[in-house]
Amino acid sequence: MEVEEGSIFGLVGPNGSGKTTTLKLLLGLIYPTQGSGKVFDFPLGSPEYKQRIGFLPEGPYFYDHLNAIELLQFYGGLFGLGGGKLEARIEELLRLVGMWDRREIRIRNYSRGMLQRIGVAQALINNPDMVFLDEPTAGLDPTAQIEMRDLMHQLRDQGKTVFLCSHLLKEMEPLCDAVVVLSRGVVRRQGRICDLLAVQSGRYQLRATGCANVSMQSLRDKALDLTVTGNEISLLVADQPQALVVAQEIADGGGTILEFGAQTRSLEDVFIEAVAAGGSD
Amino acid sequence: MRAIYRVATATFHEAWRRRFLNAILIFAVLIIGSSWSLAYLQPGAELKLLIDIGLGSTRFFGMLIAVFLGVRLISDEIEKRTIHTILTKPVTRAQFLLGKFFGSWATVMSNMLLMSLAFYVVFMIKAPGFLLKTGGTPGEGPGIATEFLYSNIAKALGLTLVEMTVVTALAVMASTLFSWIMAAIFSFFVYFVGQVANFFKSLANPEHGAGTLSQVIFRLLYGILPHFEVFDMREAILKGTYVGWETLGMHTGLGLLYTVVILGIAYLAFMNREV
Repeated sequence: MEVEEGSIFGLVGPNGSGKTTTLKLLLGLIYPTQGSGKVFDFPLGSPEYKQRIGFLPEGPYFYDHLNAIELLQFYGGLFGLGGGKLEARIEELLRLVGMWDRREIRIRNYSRGMLQRIGVAQALINNPDMVFLDEPTAGLDPTAQIEMRDLMHQLRDQGKTVFLCSHLLKEMEPLCDAVVVLSRGVVRRQGRICDLLAVQSGRYQLRATGCANVSMQSLRDKALDLTVTGNEISLLVADQPQALVVAQEIADGGGTILEFGAQTRSLEDVFIEAVAAGGSD
Repeated sequence: MRAIYRVATATFHEAWRRRFLNAILIFAVLIIGSSWSLAYLQPGAELKLLIDIGLGSTRFFGMLIAVFLGVRLISDEIEKRTIHTILTKPVTRAQFLLGKFFGSWATVMSNMLLMSLAFYVVFMIKAPGFLLKTGGTPGEGPGIATEFLYSNIAKALGLTLVEMTVVTALAVMASTLFSWIMAAIFSFFVYFVGQVANFFKSLANPEHGAGTLSQVIFRLLYGILPHFEVFDMREAILKGTYVGWETLGMHTGLGLLYTVVILGIAYLAFMNREV
């Protein structure tokens, strides 16, 4: 597997597929029994690249007798940071994760969401070039989840690489630039998400609403598939010209086109297909 | 050095917050502080009892603190997964292990110094009175050889610090190998058997009826167990034997050698341990 610099990269796979093992190998927490890998051109486990990475574990645990500032001072110290530069960085990060006002609270009194926030702050203390995030939105309320996703985009925009490990495929799909699907320790699919989700059939899909005055029979005749869900209809048509004809018919009947484009799959479809292929090995 | 220092200071601060260890320290200081009153239980041998209780308590409670602190150091970090966010920083396993060791060592030493201070204060206050009571004067009391008494007491406390350094290393090593309960059992076993390590030499002697297998086992135990008895100077104190700086240096060197070897084993175990 290869991770492009400056992208959001997703690692997905069912339980026992080897995600955690892969992550631990990349982070140097375990060593390969065979095979090899490199992070920033340094072999796995080498201390050199650890200067340039950050890591947020799933359900992070920290020394709970410390408060947010003491914890970040400890982690910053491990990178050789100190003095005013570290203090400024700590304040910047605590404000970023919304913990500045709660900086004096001991970690033992933190909620799950607060732990996740301080976890993000410690992962970024060294201003890393690459951040490994294991289930970063787990335990966060919806607002915090949005903030976390925004943060990931922000990090990418700053040129950093985000390595994301999550079970939440629906969350990964709009977030990741590329993914790898692991199953039974083997890479089953990998590539840019737009390529993985694209279907080369030439078919088009449409979604519309307010089609009360549109002839359903006429649409059915033109579509390969038509599904009605409440006020919405979803259609799959053979090609682009046919899709344009259908869209025109809906518009003429007073309907509103919600979605129009080449047929795609969801990451969930790719995942299930990949895992099923792995299962038949 | 930076990483070792950071891990060590974090370990030191965390250790001082452990109530259980604080309770042991308070209890130990109380026992040592009140040892003079217990000494009256044996009229005529008050000074001997004072030394026995004071030095014995310092060693015993020091060992308890070293073991209970050390055995949780690595296993707790792995179980609580706090180790993940540390080893993914520029910290090698060797640095982490040394940091944990030095942090716990500093804690044990500071606890030991408090206990030693308590003992020394009690000793300095009460010893002259006990000597006079039994008809002697400091330096010439009956019932106990008082020659070199004060210097021997200081040397004994110094050797106890070396001994606790070895015990701390032993507990840290056990923590890299076992869960904390097993590590505690292992550490206590090695410590108490190590107190009588010399005994295995005579047990291995064929003249004492040892069979071939027994000889091998006892020689092995004699060879591999740390000889903790060399750090116990109580007999020398009571007999008034002069303990020279050479002997003291040799025993300290032995203690440091034990510490290095034990930490080496700990490193080998920890290097390959999945965290």
